[in-house]
Amino acid sequence: MASFGTTTTPKPKRVDELIDSKLMAKLDQVDVMSRKIFSGKLQGERRSKKRGMSVEFADYRHYVHGDDLRFVDWNIYARLDKLFIKMFLEEEDLSLIIALDTSSSMDWGNPNKLVFCQRLAMALGYIGLVNHNRVSLYAFSDGGLRPLPNLRGMRRTQEMGSWLLNQQTGGASNFDDAMRGIALTRQGKGVMVVLSDFLYKEGYEKGLRYLSGGGYDTFCMQVLAPEEIDPGKAGLSGDLRLTDIEDDDVAEVTVSAGLLRRYKENLDAYCGKLREFCVRRGMMHLTIDTATDLNVLLLDYLRKRGLLR
Amino acid sequence: MTWVSPLTGLILAAAVIPPLILLYFLKLRRRTQPIACTLLWKKSIEDLQANAPFQKLRRNILLLLQLLALILLILSVMQPQVQAGQQTGGKTVIIIDNSASMSATDGPDGMTRLEQAKQLAKQRVEAMYRGGLFSRSPGETMVIAFSDRAEIYSRFSSARQQLLAAIDRIQPTHGETRIAEALQLSRAYTTNVVDIMGEARPTGEPAHIELFSDGNITDLDDQVLRPGESMTFHALGTDDADNVAINAISVERPFDRPTAVAVFVSLLNFNQREVRCDVQLSVDGTARGIREVQIQPARLDPATGELLPGRNNVAFAPFEQPRGAVIEVANLRQDALMADNVAQLVVPPPRQLNVALVRSNYRILEAALDPEGMRLQRLDVITLERFEELAAENALDQYDVVVFDNRAPTSLPPGRYLSFGATPPVEGLNEYGQGGTQLILTTRHEHPVMQNVMLDDLRIAEMTLLQPGDDVQVLVEATGGPAMIAVSRGSFHLIHVTFDPLASSWPFKRSFINFIYNAIEHLGHIGEAVTSEGLRPGEVLTARLPASAQDIELLTPDGTTHRLTPADPSQLSWGPLRLSGPHLLRWTEPGVTGSRRQSRAYAVNLLSETEGNLAVAESIDIGQDSVTGTRADASTHTPLWPWAIALCLGLLMVEWWVYHRKAYF
Repeated sequence: MASFGTTTTPKPKRVDELIDSKLMAKLDQVDVMSRKIFSGKLQGERRSKKRGMSVEFADYRHYVHGDDLRFVDWNIYARLDKLFIKMFLEEEDLSLIIALDTSSSMDWGNPNKLVFCQRLAMALGYIGLVNHNRVSLYAFSDGGLRPLPNLRGMRRTQEMGSWLLNQQTGGASNFDDAMRGIALTRQGKGVMVVLSDFLYKEGYEKGLRYLSGGGYDTFCMQVLAPEEIDPGKAGLSGDLRLTDIEDDDVAEVTVSAGLLRRYKENLDAYCGKLREFCVRRGMMHLTIDTATDLNVLLLDYLRKRGLLR
Repeated sequence: MTWVSPLTGLILAAAVIPPLILLYFLKLRRRTQPIACTLLWKKSIEDLQANAPFQKLRRNILLLLQLLALILLILSVMQPQVQAGQQTGGKTVIIIDNSASMSATDGPDGMTRLEQAKQLAKQRVEAMYRGGLFSRSPGETMVIAFSDRAEIYSRFSSARQQLLAAIDRIQPTHGETRIAEALQLSRAYTTNVVDIMGEARPTGEPAHIELFSDGNITDLDDQVLRPGESMTFHALGTDDADNVAINAISVERPFDRPTAVAVFVSLLNFNQREVRCDVQLSVDGTARGIREVQIQPARLDPATGELLPGRNNVAFAPFEQPRGAVIEVANLRQDALMADNVAQLVVPPPRQLNVALVRSNYRILEAALDPEGMRLQRLDVITLERFEELAAENALDQYDVVVFDNRAPTSLPPGRYLSFGATPPVEGLNEYGQGGTQLILTTRHEHPVMQNVMLDDLRIAEMTLLQPGDDVQVLVEATGGPAMIAVSRGSFHLIHVTFDPLASSWPFKRSFINFIYNAIEHLGHIGEAVTSEGLRPGEVLTARLPASAQDIELLTPDGTTHRLTPADPSQLSWGPLRLSGPHLLRWTEPGVTGSRRQSRAYAVNLLSETEGNLAVAESIDIGQDSVTGTRADASTHTPLWPWAIALCLGLLMVEWWVYHRKAYF
């Protein structure tokens, strides 16, 4: 099968090809939800347990050395001659981090895995921007970690789309380093979505451990092409020399029913193991077929799984 | 089950099976297929190899299928056969050649080709009507034997015993090989039946023809297979059959020694090597001389590919034989075909003729017919009135020839006549006047009567003008019309000169005497059985016996006596002659010879260059179809190779399916 795994649909070149207006209209009603940190929603803002700078008063406390003098309540000092610090209920926005695997293996499949991830990232990012969350995007491959941090507000939608379109695939994923880099640069707490196929020969465990340290509500979205989920149905047959497009590794196979059955068993086991790893560490794991309709995924599937509401 | 070519199959198997297995041991040429990650595939391969110890074997089902297909192909090359009946129903015509060349004894244990053919044909019938695993209804079969004539031995029948008995009844003949009549007979029973609307229509499907022959068929070029007809040719005999044949024999009495006999023989060598043979001359069964003859080898004509036999002629010096005798020349060399090693001729005694002359007033013809000069037994000079009396008494048989010298009787009974001048009362000779001076325009010199008769300087003063009928042969044409004519109707023969010799310069010419001698000899010996030419198989024997002959019988060379009851013994005929060799005609003539049996011998000689050639045709071209001969008794077997080929194709389809359906096993 010469066309096995080859992407036949054209890749998006403009932002509106990544996400259309109808979907955007639907996504306006959706918000990102974190199971860990926040519950309840204020329109456009979130109430934080942490007191800080805000217009909404929370409490007083005694001044201690080193407090910012700007928050001293001078009226209380005049009346009681004691220094009190005004404490406000800090309005803390949700931090949404989207990590996108741009290794060579992602640029494969029909529909293409990378394009699917770009669209999904665009949609999730758009939801974040619409809800005034702080949206950060990271693309990772063995070329390093390419960040687009701290976007806020709908005006940044175009910028985010352009950045996503500009991501080129190449090399291995270098997942461990990428996750380590993201974990080190993280600010605050929030929701982290990792979009990848998680087919790492070096393993995913070490990388995911960086994310499990706390703070993040992590969603591991394992995006697989139909050719990976059921290669027999997709037309893989004959005596083949399977070549890994990332590292040119070769596997010589004679495709037979037994081999295909064994492959499926291995795939199920691999995904099951990943899921178990994530669950044990409080992460959510989702396996997504790139043939899945994005509308259904966002508005139905991800809502049920608790990422969106 | 038998195999036609097992060795070829084994060689083929040795040549192709090991390379196929070797190819499977070599690394497969795999197609490169880029994929996202080989991680799971490698793991799957390892699992399979770890979990299925017979995986390699199971994966090689394709090899097994290919090996099976290859073995079936090899089996088909080895041509397996099983003893079974005929594959198809319908009609079969068994045509067996029983011509002279089929008497060649080049078969196993000295069997003749005809015996082999009959044996094979019987095996064929046995196979057809025995039934078996692969047989269906064999339909009906007809048996025909042919040489120069075809004979139906059994009409279409499905009775096995009847067919076998019919084949057994076929006897050898020494005729030539002509198949046209046999084909016509076979078609007569399958096609062209006229229905009540008067239209010819086929009565059924065309028949399948099983031809058992050596393939030397003279009239194949004129034949075609009709649409739907098919033919299997069973070639019989061997190519290296040895044969030297007597091709021609001739006996002459020298003119100057009428009691002596000279014998000439021509021999043909059909072997592609020089041969020497002894040729023996016998007279009435007693050897008179042996001559050794060396004959050049036969050679192939490079242009036509035909075999040109070597030739040599032998002449035996004249020897005294005043009586009649059977002259036999035999090639003493033993070869495959004995029928053409002997040739006979019956030489009659130098019979002297009885002639009656119906005279005129002049004696010129009487002088010319001098019994001593003309070697006549008797010359009776009679008047026209005496002739009329003899004719009325039916007593003209005592004369071989009656000569009319310018006399015309009132009627001419059957007999042989030479007349001059006055026109005899014969239908077809119509007078229309008298002509003046005549010159000779043309002469038919090829006629026996006109041998050595030169008429260029003949002058005729007066001639009767005749309008000849359609069956009147003009021998000499003068300026005023026919000058000499010949009429031959059954037992009536007449040679007539339309002018009186006395009214011409002819009596002074040598040609006059020559003409009279020729005419008397020709008319006197017409209808005699054998002069110097013998009969051939296939021809009809005709004899002129006395009208009162009774109890006539013919003894043929195979010892059979055939009783003949002809309506008119003076016009006896029997035939066609089946065998070569001496035929003896015997009869009694009450009153004349005192009931003593009389006999007359007739010689029948093969003398055929076609039949003497014993080379076996590999194939015969009938119309545009070329039918290749089968040497083995293949017709009694059902070939299994089509089944093997079909199975092989089926296996290849299964192999293709397995390959594309990822080997569900």
